[in-house]
Amino acid sequence: MEHCAAMGERQTHEAVIEACQRGERDAFRLLFENYKDKVFSVALYFFGGDEATAGDITQQVFLKLFNCIGQFQGDAEFTTWLYRLTTNACVDEARKRRRWLPFGDATEMKEPVVKKSQEQALASREVADSVKRAVGTLRPKLRVVLLLKYFEELSYEEIAAVVGCSKGTVASRLNRGHKILAGKLGHLRGSLVRTE
Amino acid sequence: MFGNHVNKYFSAYAHGELTAVESERVAAHLETCARCREEFEEVKLGIRLAECLPSASAPDSLWEGIESSLARQGAEEKRRRRAASFPRVSSRLSFNWPRAATAGAFACFALLALGGWLYYRSTRPAWEVERLAGAPSIDARSFGETGRLGVGKWLETDEQSRVQIDVANIGQVEVAPNTRVRIVETGLTEHRMELARGTLHARIWAPPRLFFVDTPSAVAADLGCAYTLEVDDAGRSLLRVTSGFVALERGARESIVPAGAACLTQPGVGPGTPFFEDASEELAGALTRFDFEGGGPEALRVVIESARPRDTLTLWHLLARSEGEWRERIYERLAALDAPPEGVTREGILRLDSAMLETWKDRLEDQWVNEDLRSVRKAWRKLWK
Repeated sequence: MEHCAAMGERQTHEAVIEACQRGERDAFRLLFENYKDKVFSVALYFFGGDEATAGDITQQVFLKLFNCIGQFQGDAEFTTWLYRLTTNACVDEARKRRRWLPFGDATEMKEPVVKKSQEQALASREVADSVKRAVGTLRPKLRVVLLLKYFEELSYEEIAAVVGCSKGTVASRLNRGHKILAGKLGHLRGSLVRTE
Repeated sequence: MFGNHVNKYFSAYAHGELTAVESERVAAHLETCARCREEFEEVKLGIRLAECLPSASAPDSLWEGIESSLARQGAEEKRRRRAASFPRVSSRLSFNWPRAATAGAFACFALLALGGWLYYRSTRPAWEVERLAGAPSIDARSFGETGRLGVGKWLETDEQSRVQIDVANIGQVEVAPNTRVRIVETGLTEHRMELARGTLHARIWAPPRLFFVDTPSAVAADLGCAYTLEVDDAGRSLLRVTSGFVALERGARESIVPAGAACLTQPGVGPGTPFFEDASEELAGALTRFDFEGGGPEALRVVIESARPRDTLTLWHLLARSEGEWRERIYERLAALDAPPEGVTREGILRLDSAMLETWKDRLEDQWVNEDLRSVRKAWRKLWK
């Protein structure tokens, strides 16, 4: 494991993935530890702060990953594959629920568990809470690209590969998402400036 | 490249996703256009707000859940492998004591393995079946008042017989006469039956998409509902929904069927277009011609002209199943019956923008759902929250 950590990021990925393909449980644990927060964050904000659902989605994604990793040929980026599994799991779950449950209801959003180090970096708690609520009200397709951009820090091309659309569609969805956030939270412009 | 205004490129511009040439053009335009500058400020505000989203930590307990699932999978796999490697005793063994002893040991082992395998089979999930009339059979064997239907076994009713099946703990299915049906899968995340022919009436009270019925021409996915599904000898089916919603699916083709509506399916085509059962005969007939008989534009014209406000169900589905001028005509009729909501444009619908189609459908669903169903929805939400 120490040897892996010393290698470049890409080689580390390759080595860990190969070890997973051989069925090494430690390697899979390493992969899980590396990506669990990102997968969990996407699911958490996708489901309006519902930690139980985000946890279920995270488990589903990694179980599927472990069961299918033998089929991963390296012909696509591993992260693209992982985030595709994540967004598909979120969208499938949302689809199951959408006809019956008020989805992304801002008033019911729970407080997510926030990393302390990142919490310190927040502009302000008030702004962050408001943004979380506003993101929860976006349509799923806008929400997915926004979460992939800001949690996974993917490029437009990578997001397009994950979601299965063109770069132009990603740009358009992000544009709409940004405008909706600005429209809903324009009153926070002042507090954003003060906290910078 | 950019025409007059550059507003749709703002996010890509701010994120550095444009080429150098494109970026220069956006920058040059911004210098001269106050309207775009104002809008760019708005997008930048949205970006700064989105950047405030804090990342979250996954609970440590998640790994334990994954590990125990993996362990269960491993045990299951071993059990399957053991069952598959059931040893065979050679028929060419001639009688001598050492060989007889070996054969005896093998025979004992085989008996033990067979016993284990039979025990395993007996503990596999099965659904309770209650005979309502006649002499139904499971795997060609008749049973008394009650029986158990295991995965993969066929249940058949003749002209006189009917049965009721308890679908795990999520609902009931009544199997009508002259029907052949089996369980394909039953588990925590999915219960699936196959209806080869005949009729079943399902009442399901589980969350959506937990119960499925495969037919030769489509899959019926329960979305919290009651319905009747018939399959004829040619593999065609008719779905009639009495409560809630059902989705009929085949590949990328999907029909959403609410209470009071019906939908036909046909092998090689998949689900047809759903329609309310109180729609006019002209509409229903034209729809059948369009979906399955190559009725083309003439059939579409009849559907469009005879559509009532409630038939937006049919028109909405036809948007994606028509092209060019006819899609435009369907849009016009749909918009005349119920104007598209804010954010849904003619251009977007004509190019089948999925977000806009969904937004419009969400609005139209209010017309498709009756008062009784609204109260069912409320009760359902209360039950599963």
